[in-house]
Amino acid sequence: MEGVADPRTLIPERTKSRRAQVVIEQAIKAFFGGNALVAVIVLALITIFLFREGFGFFGQNLANLRLYRQAGLEYVDIIRGNAAQHESLSRKLSEIRLREVRVMEKRNVPLEEINAALAPFDQFASAFSDTAENLHGLVSDLTDQASALKEQLFARAELLAQRNQLERSGAQTEAEKIVVPEVDRAAALARLREGSARFESVSAEITAKLYNLLAQAPAMPDPAGQKHFEQWKTRARKYLAGLPAASEKLRTWSPDTPIPWYRSISSFLFGRDWVTASFWQDWYGIIPLLVGSVLVSIVALVIAVPLGVASAIYVSEIASRHEKRLIKPYIEFISAIPSVVLGFFGIAVVGQAVRAASQSHFFKWVSFFPISERLNIFTAGCLLALMAVPTIFTLSEDALRNVPRGFKEASYALGANRLQTIARVLVPASLSGIVSAILLGLGRVIGETMVVLLCAGNRIAIPDFTQGLGAIFQPVHTMTGIIAQEMGEVVRGSTHYRALFMVGLVLFTITLAINYLAQKFVARYRMSIG
Amino acid sequence: MVSVAEMSEITSPTVVNQTAPMPNPANPKVERGMIEIEQLDFAYGTNKVLHDINLSIPARAVTAFIGPSGCGKTTLLRCLNRMNDLIDSARITQGSIRIEGVDINASSVDVVDLRRRVGMVFQKSNPFPKSIYDNVAYGLRIAGTTKRTLIDEAVEKSLRSAALWDEVKDRLHVSGYGLSGGQQQRLCIARALAVEPEIVLMDEPCSALDPIATAKVEELIRQLKEQYTIVIVTHNMQQAGRCSDHTAFFYLGRLIEFDDTTKIFSNPGQRQTEEYITGRFG
Repeated sequence: MEGVADPRTLIPERTKSRRAQVVIEQAIKAFFGGNALVAVIVLALITIFLFREGFGFFGQNLANLRLYRQAGLEYVDIIRGNAAQHESLSRKLSEIRLREVRVMEKRNVPLEEINAALAPFDQFASAFSDTAENLHGLVSDLTDQASALKEQLFARAELLAQRNQLERSGAQTEAEKIVVPEVDRAAALARLREGSARFESVSAEITAKLYNLLAQAPAMPDPAGQKHFEQWKTRARKYLAGLPAASEKLRTWSPDTPIPWYRSISSFLFGRDWVTASFWQDWYGIIPLLVGSVLVSIVALVIAVPLGVASAIYVSEIASRHEKRLIKPYIEFISAIPSVVLGFFGIAVVGQAVRAASQSHFFKWVSFFPISERLNIFTAGCLLALMAVPTIFTLSEDALRNVPRGFKEASYALGANRLQTIARVLVPASLSGIVSAILLGLGRVIGETMVVLLCAGNRIAIPDFTQGLGAIFQPVHTMTGIIAQEMGEVVRGSTHYRALFMVGLVLFTITLAINYLAQKFVARYRMSIG
Repeated sequence: MVSVAEMSEITSPTVVNQTAPMPNPANPKVERGMIEIEQLDFAYGTNKVLHDINLSIPARAVTAFIGPSGCGKTTLLRCLNRMNDLIDSARITQGSIRIEGVDINASSVDVVDLRRRVGMVFQKSNPFPKSIYDNVAYGLRIAGTTKRTLIDEAVEKSLRSAALWDEVKDRLHVSGYGLSGGQQQRLCIARALAVEPEIVLMDEPCSALDPIATAKVEELIRQLKEQYTIVIVTHNMQQAGRCSDHTAFFYLGRLIEFDDTTKIFSNPGQRQTEEYITGRFG
């Protein structure tokens, strides 16, 4: 037998057609494999680019923070903070007056009488705000000095960098042509720090005047007003008590205290200010944007989850076949509306309607109504809810439909009615599917840009939570919105540019985490009903 | 559909409140847990699957439905607790089913009540994704029982009746999915028994079980007939022979023969029955 080929072999000889088939198979493999490869490579490149552009931020931000200290801006800001406290006390006084006027108006006291009754108080308020005159003067003087120094230092650093680059590329002669001016930082700072003494004299003056004022403070015509005024007085005394501490801070301040590297990260992640293109100092703190995004998403989910899940339950369990055919495509159709159109609708209709509703008599009992801003968290949340409903609806409906028929039958066979079967068997059995639907809806909401850019009001500030639920009727800016708005105007490679990339990275991380969680829930769901 | 005249003829006018079954004057032989099927036709849409079924299932005995796949025996079983209501377009086109003399398809009958009295065990064991305890307690809880001691008692009693108590008493609050296939099926039986039905319908309860688990369930069925009317659909001739008292043979949507099991298996009256049980077709 050896050496003799078995004619009945299972593998036929490679005929021409067979070879052609192999070629075709390989081509198919190459085509699909190539597509997958391109997708993977592109995604990897995007991620790498994002990280490369983003991580440069920390170095630049650190330099930015160091300059803030070295040029004495930080020093000036200590005094400025003090002046701001004084100003806030002034504002508080006008609030007290406003409240008082309202109370008296309710009692139908004529305007002249109100003004007459409040005349001593007004005198007090203007005297109080006058006490800070010298303080404000000091701040504005020092501000000029510090920003001049900062500009010089900044220009010098730029020129130095330019020269270094030329030297590195070998153009020695050209490098030497660049004259880097010397900046006498020590002298400038010494002049700046004369402010300490001036501040001390100013604060002594304020203290004296204010004690005097407090001693002869007028009484308020109304007991409630008097109570507020007393509270104000306590605050004012506290302010006075804090003045020596500020002086102390100024004296011990040093422009050469090193700033640790992690400050550039913590000032980004926990910074409460996002100030860009400012004449004074840029701050890149993500908190106001993060809070804005989170609040908008919460409002959107609070609206979208009941709507989406309840309609999914209705369609999968209760609706007749005819209704199903109508409702399902209709809800899914909502996701086909371009988000810019939704945003437009939000400005023109929803925002207007929300404000009109807040002004109506019907809602008079709500403490924070009427609202002043038409575009706010609530408006944006309503529209984002509209975008999240189809996602939540479709996926929840899938989850509910995939609950094994046996569960439903067993429940009915035990004498359960429809509501009991839904609440005790179907929803618990598909809960992880529903949760993952909600998470994916959240992912959709938090990444949405156009609607929030158009409808969230775009004020970069952390909402005032002391108003309670009223906070959701304040305008905010969001992470997605700020990127869309500012990315077009920034200088490539600047700190601001890189800060926007970092915001993008944070957003990316959040959506990634949400999607990961959603997938985990889906996996659990598959196990629990498998 | 049944005409109004026929309905009133079938449904006894004296029995309206089905929760307290009364002796039916039109039919004095009514017994607790007995089922009478009269001239029943059933269709899915236009596809008629049951033709003129007449069958009287005795109380407190095991009745087996046998027949080849697609002969309508499961459909008939699901008519007995109106599970077919869940299927669109499925309906009884003629005839009636009376349990203890009450037409279960009459408009006055509350289907929730009916199902509480006619329990069901399915082909594929289907415990809820809940703990063993919660599975058994489900029927009581949906019926509105909230008293913990009552539920505890009922859970223990039904798990004991289902011969599962000793195996699970230490892990009542563990998921029902941790049990083996046979235990899961007995858990489903316990769940059905917990609401104290009069009739238990079993749709091929052992088709997914190994011989040992099957033997346990069959033993259980034999014990349960002391208290319950049991109707079991099975493909397993030996099973029908082992644990049923009466056997009904169905073929192509018709009841071919209904008699004592011993008679059916030793001396069937019909040629088709004999061919089926001897394995010549089906």
